[in-house]
Amino acid sequence: MSGLSAGIGCRDLRVHAGGRELLSVPELHVASGRTLAVLGPNGAGKSTLLRALGLLSSHRVSGQILLDGRPATRSLMRNAIVAVLQRPILRRGTVADNVISGLRFRGMSRREARIGAWPWIEALGLEPLAGRDARSLSIGEAQRVSITRALAVRPRVLLLDEPFSGLDSTTRADLLADLRAALTGQPTATILVTHDRQEALALAEDTALLIDGRIRQHGPTAEMLDHPSDADTARLLGYTNLLPPSLTGRMHTLVARPEHTQLVLDASDGPADRTDDVRSVIGTLRRTVALGIATRVDVDTSTGPLTCLHPGDVLATELPPVGSDVRVRIRHARSLITAD
Amino acid sequence: MDVLFDGLVGAIGLLLSGDHDSWSIIALTLRVSLTATTIALLMGLPLGAIVALARFPGRRIVLAAANTGMGLPPVVVGLFVTVLLWRSGPLGGLGLLYTPTAMIIAQAAIATPIVVALVAAALQQVDPDFRVQMQALGATPIRAFAALLGEARLPLLAGAMAAFGAVVSEVGAAQMVGGNLAGQTRVLTTAAVLATSQGQFSLSIAFGMILLLIAFGVNLSLTLIQQRRTVMR
Repeated sequence: MSGLSAGIGCRDLRVHAGGRELLSVPELHVASGRTLAVLGPNGAGKSTLLRALGLLSSHRVSGQILLDGRPATRSLMRNAIVAVLQRPILRRGTVADNVISGLRFRGMSRREARIGAWPWIEALGLEPLAGRDARSLSIGEAQRVSITRALAVRPRVLLLDEPFSGLDSTTRADLLADLRAALTGQPTATILVTHDRQEALALAEDTALLIDGRIRQHGPTAEMLDHPSDADTARLLGYTNLLPPSLTGRMHTLVARPEHTQLVLDASDGPADRTDDVRSVIGTLRRTVALGIATRVDVDTSTGPLTCLHPGDVLATELPPVGSDVRVRIRHARSLITAD
Repeated sequence: MDVLFDGLVGAIGLLLSGDHDSWSIIALTLRVSLTATTIALLMGLPLGAIVALARFPGRRIVLAAANTGMGLPPVVVGLFVTVLLWRSGPLGGLGLLYTPTAMIIAQAAIATPIVVALVAAALQQVDPDFRVQMQALGATPIRAFAALLGEARLPLLAGAMAAFGAVVSEVGAAQMVGGNLAGQTRVLTTAAVLATSQGQFSLSIAFGMILLLIAFGVNLSLTLIQQRRTVMR
């Protein structure tokens, strides 16, 4: 096993297209029974990584893909992996026909495949749709079929390429919960590609942050999502407010989430004097936007814009006029030790 | 109306009479057109698939050429094949001119660009990630391609129907390379032209109606296959 446990991984993986390097991952491993979320912004190379790992890439790929610690061949990989792509791609036929198609590709008879797939059809709540024409499904239903089709194979490696994007929030929450429940206890190495932190948190024990084709951070999900190491990962993790030393007087750049950054509305409400994380900075109010459950306030500072998020609908009368000098309080911030 | 009615009666009479000449014309028409369509499908399907799925320099030019070929005048193809097969032509030594084989070659040349263009269009309609998704479910590349053909079955069969329709109804190339020799290379279209030129309108209409019947029969078969409820293999 070359020192690696069962699962999927890679060494010196590089993907090139059009004379450009799209991806470079020195090493990655996802053990059986665990889920890795690959979190990255659009264009970071997440799908490229997923397809390269599944030997499904149309680009030039170099390096080693490892299955259970050994170099993977196409034939081995074909039997081990299943991928769910961003858009649910179903075949003509009924929902049940689609769910069994992975098992049929693996040589099962139609009857065996139906018997094998039925528990998954039940687990994912597809019984009422089983006889429906797959072309008549909503996008959410189609993605549910696509995920059920993948799980029915009981793959050793499950590759999920942003399967929840494009779904409404209720459908997404339901499907996320059902997938989490279905994966629990399965000996499947799962890689979820996403740009959504909540999906990573809900499904993955580990998270890798992928930016510009490189993994910047990799570790336990809870830790990764709250400990950005640089400005790019901070932005990816929702720490969109960048507070350089020139603004805060600190040694390192601080980053803060908008929900932890708020306008000081009461002049007597001075900066807290106890915790190190609390800072206040001066700026000019640029605009306010009522978002229903929150009010967004954009403030320009000497080093760039800050976004404040006030819970609830802050009354317009409480806010100073646009163009006023305002004070912004940062309730919670992270320090970028390797500040740029 | 009398001429049309007489033509209809004549057609039924020809079909029922067991007239040897008429049946040999019908049989040759079917043999030439179906063989030419089959050859066009065998050549056009892989070519169309390559144009649709592969990425190579000049791909769009090939596709544009195939699209242009959909409107290729049969007379031009007939002329080209005639020159090729002429006694002093590059393939004259084969002695194929004025044979059913020459007619099959010409008709296959007419139908192939139609198949290429329609296959390419049919396959490009399917999600570009379809084969990737099938392979990601465990399909071999060949099975994934077969699944893709199954997915594009409706427009693919429409392509086959268009190809057959083009060859069974053309007269220019069949006349030029076949010569309309009685008992040898006379097909329904060339026979209808000859009958018309001789003022035998009833016979001409009879041939035309039989031609329509054949075209309808073949297309009905393909349509029934096309519209059959899809069942997963």
